Amino acid sequence: MSAKKEFPAGVEREAAKAEQGRHAGNAQTVERFDVPVIVDEQRCITGCHICIDSCPVDCLSVNPTSRKAHMQFDECWYCLACEVDCPTDAITVKIPFLLR
Amino acid sequence: MEQRETEVDVVVVGGGSAGSTAAIRAQKELPVGRVLLLEKAHVKRSGAIAIGMDGLNNAVIPGHATPEQYVKEITMANDGIVNQRAVLAYAERSFDMIQQLDRWGVKFQKTQAGDFDVKKVHHNGSYVLPMPEGYDLKKILTRTIRRAGVRVSNRVMATRLLTAADGSIAGVVGLNVRDGGLEIIRARTVILCCGASGRLGLPASGYLYGTYENPANAGDGYSLAYHAGAELTGIECFQINPLIKDFNGPACAYVTGPLGGHTVNARGHRFIESDYWSGQMMMEFYRELHSENGPVYLKLTHLAPETITEIERVLHRTERPSRGRFHAGRGHTYGEDLVEMHISEIGLCSGHSGSGVWVNERGETTVPGLYAAGDMACVPHNYLLGAMTYGEICAESALAYLGEGRAGQGGEAPSRDGIDEQFEAERARLTAPLERPRGIPHHQFEYKVRRMVNDYLQPPKTATRLRLGLAHFERALEELDEVGATSSHELMRVAEAGFIRDCAEMAARASLFRTESRWGLYHHRLDHPELDDDNWLVHVNLRKSASATMEVFKRPLVPYVVTLDESERRSYYRIRIPPATAATGASTPDAVVSSGAAS
Repeated sequence: MSAKKEFPAGVEREAAKAEQGRHAGNAQTVERFDVPVIVDEQRCITGCHICIDSCPVDCLSVNPTSRKAHMQFDECWYCLACEVDCPTDAITVKIPFLLR
Repeated sequence: MEQRETEVDVVVVGGGSAGSTAAIRAQKELPVGRVLLLEKAHVKRSGAIAIGMDGLNNAVIPGHATPEQYVKEITMANDGIVNQRAVLAYAERSFDMIQQLDRWGVKFQKTQAGDFDVKKVHHNGSYVLPMPEGYDLKKILTRTIRRAGVRVSNRVMATRLLTAADGSIAGVVGLNVRDGGLEIIRARTVILCCGASGRLGLPASGYLYGTYENPANAGDGYSLAYHAGAELTGIECFQINPLIKDFNGPACAYVTGPLGGHTVNARGHRFIESDYWSGQMMMEFYRELHSENGPVYLKLTHLAPETITEIERVLHRTERPSRGRFHAGRGHTYGEDLVEMHISEIGLCSGHSGSGVWVNERGETTVPGLYAAGDMACVPHNYLLGAMTYGEICAESALAYLGEGRAGQGGEAPSRDGIDEQFEAERARLTAPLERPRGIPHHQFEYKVRRMVNDYLQPPKTATRLRLGLAHFERALEELDEVGATSSHELMRVAEAGFIRDCAEMAARASLFRTESRWGLYHHRLDHPELDDDNWLVHVNLRKSASATMEVFKRPLVPYVVTLDESERRSYYRIRIPPATAATGASTPDAVVSSGAAS
């Protein structure tokens, strides 16, 4: 473990930290989101792309693990195009939590 | 990353309502393959009416309205700032478009005698034609595109336009948002049909995609036209819609109007005569919302159950099919509950607010070979039918510009001079975020810009706040260089964030420039509260200057072809029910409704 970095005291320390903050790069975190599009994987047809084509904001894709459709991006307009166009009624769109 | 190059005669950017008719019309006179329709989504579900629309707002149908009457009404609604020739060109052709749509299979509401069943909803004239099966509209347009033989590239987003040395249009750079491939599409004519700038303000819910407009309409066309050197106009006039609180759908008080629905304040009193929106109506709405009488509600509780069923059939099936689900989730019904209303985030849209790319009655922008139609092209109150009508007008203008000998048929090919340099510059700009996979995420950048739009641009406006906003948007241009992307999908979002930022800067600069108040709430300046016709009965236009800065200037009002007398000019300001009448109307609100509708 490296020793704690020496900074000047008081105002000078703050200025040094502020300067350092401008060049420190970015840190990332992963958050959990509740998303509106729910896919019933039993009903969803493997290889069918109808809902993915329908989405006007391109927020759906094939889940590489299950090979079924899923909502990949938290960017839903809850327009119901995917739900209406699904040939097996596998999709239910909820009103996003922030609105409902 | 793959790079493709193709050459066509006409590129239509955007496959919504305007783009569909533009492509179909152009294809009629060109060999298959020479018209290319680019769509960032998929044409079957794209544009403002991805799902459907329950009616036409502005049908000018012989026997119900004349083109001159319509031009008058729109001039009043838009506070005098209109290019009347452009509005007239629409009004004269719109009935032909209705008949064509009728032939294509669009179902309009008709009377028992078989006539179009036009409703009076506007302040003065009758222009609303219901489409009870409007959920089929997009399907019908898509089928017609396919039958016409139009070449369609779905999931390709235009990111910049290419120009020739003389300033004319030379093509489009496209990003395939699925595989990340870049395309150079060379063409002498481009028709922009990219929709409104609908992702500008942030909805009060804080949900980025909870916008009134389809969020795919991020202002792409405004930015594309600007960077190609075209003039834009009326950008200081903002789209603001009366909405259901928390839900992004319009409450559609005006749709329920003919069936007896209307807005009321918290005391249960009517306060506006006409629920059809205009800046003046939105001002009264805003005042009521923020007064001791607020909030505002849509009132349907007094209607018969079968009338409510009829209203639900229209409002819950076409424009916003999730509306019923929203109400059910809150446990509300129209019979028992008033529907709480609010105002939307701000946006730019030619239909709603007359803010868009400057076009004339031929759909021509100020850049040779570049045309614009639909929500992004400034023909005030054009809306859906105007989009489809101007799509055709633009296609005809593009065909005329191409002339007899078209490229591929012995005609002139689009210029290739300088294309590689422009493309390389665009590739570098567009793909730079991929080199910063750990950069700022696009949604955080976008949230911040749009939050600043709310904080500083949302009316009422002041110069101080607008300047503070402008400083943030200038800083956001630098921050854009910190935004990262890890996929072609994210690259699309970063490019859109750039469009949004461009629109925010335009909105701030144009708003600062017009030092008066006009269009009710849409450009309400607290520091210049009066309307000032002596100095400001002009178009405010902006463009990219030779030194690549944003310049804002006055353009003289295009001379009127239909004149209005003074009392007509101000009729949209007489929308509030006088307090005495409203108080009397409290016990008999329906009496106020009928007196308002009959005037």
